[in-house]
Amino acid sequence: MNAPDRYERFVVPEGTKKVSYERDTKIINAASFTIEREDHTIGNIVRMQLHRDGNVLFAGYKLPHPLQYKIIVRVHTTSQSSPMQAYNLAINDLDKELDHLKAVFEAEVARVSGEY
Amino acid sequence: MDGASYQRFPKVKIRELKDDYVKFELRETDASMANALRRVMIAEVPTIAIDLVEIEVNSSVLNDEFIAHRLGLIPLTSERAMSMRFSRDCDACDGDGQCEFCSVEFHLRAKCINDQTLDVTSKDLYSSDHTVVPVDFSDPGSGFENPEDQRGITIVKLRKGQELRLRAIARKGIGKDHAKWSPAATVTFMYEPEIHINEEMMETLSLEEKTSVVESSPTKVFALNPQTQQVEVVDPEAYTYDDEVLKKVEAMGKPGLIEIYAKEDSFIFTVESTGAVKASQLVINAIDVLKQKLDAVRLLEDTVEADDQFGELGAHMRGACRVFLFHFG
Repeated sequence: MNAPDRYERFVVPEGTKKVSYERDTKIINAASFTIEREDHTIGNIVRMQLHRDGNVLFAGYKLPHPLQYKIIVRVHTTSQSSPMQAYNLAINDLDKELDHLKAVFEAEVARVSGEY
Repeated sequence: MDGASYQRFPKVKIRELKDDYVKFELRETDASMANALRRVMIAEVPTIAIDLVEIEVNSSVLNDEFIAHRLGLIPLTSERAMSMRFSRDCDACDGDGQCEFCSVEFHLRAKCINDQTLDVTSKDLYSSDHTVVPVDFSDPGSGFENPEDQRGITIVKLRKGQELRLRAIARKGIGKDHAKWSPAATVTFMYEPEIHINEEMMETLSLEEKTSVVESSPTKVFALNPQTQQVEVVDPEAYTYDDEVLKKVEAMGKPGLIEIYAKEDSFIFTVESTGAVKASQLVINAIDVLKQKLDAVRLLEDTVEADDQFGELGAHMRGACRVFLFHFG
């Protein structure tokens, strides 16, 4: 009766932004990014990549409620960087890592099937 | 901006590669990446499956929605899926989601005429697009020995006089929406174990004690070499991270005899596909879908500029000097 429709898990409704953020009013260089219609798949991978950044002091994500399909990623950085910069850098690095993984996997598939 | 990059360079080594099964090792990346790939393979790689069924005649023993449900679960070859549009995003059709760009039409006509039970199978589904057909499960090697295996998935069985006639529309979808669209049968990954046997302590054991250590493991990880009388690791990957051997070794009073670690950045993936997409293609599609998701989640320029503090900081760093209009909400 109260269950949301299944497509709500991945379809962003009209008028809602996919990613938005709020700076923390009390702590400098800290922000929370709200990503709509995403779950642990993106949340965990972005969080772990943010941890590898030397300028990031704190990075974490949560799902506020399992029936509300959004995640909140919180980032604190040093003054050398900003949360937005760290976040974008993390996404870019993940993108490059996936490019590399795809190339390596395709090469390996070609090599193995070529052996037959 | 500085050019710092915290990128990792994963390595892949394929162990086994078949049409619907691939086993490979993934190294130098961490568990979040492995898990993200697993989740995407199961739930977010798009496939094509029957989504709308119009039944003209059904005098079988199963009711309409039962048959429609079964039709939805039939795997269809979905090479086209990655390049196809979702019905909801298609602007070519009038909104009913049945145009040639976003859907594939099937029809099925079966009537039992003779006394023998007619088995209506997935092979009786005729597609309007020859690239999207029900998956053929017959093993190419044993094609002529077992004609029973080639019949396809049973949809319903008809008695003499019973008829089934329907038209079905298949659309693109993802597993997150409904499990019929999931291309993966199972996707698993395990941490690669690293097993160390302390040889000096092993010397102090009697033959019975060594045999009991080898047998304490539910899966065959260790074996006693008959020639050298030593316990050796015969199949480290059979280890399922039950700690039976470690408990046994401690119970014997010799902790540290065997040490087993899970390597944190080394994973062994097993991907089994339903046949809708080839297993190796499934992994590649999963990587593409994950890239698309990350792209969608990027912070856009206008979101950053709309913010007063960091927007100005960004503008100064870019060397521009502009007047910002603050807008809230």
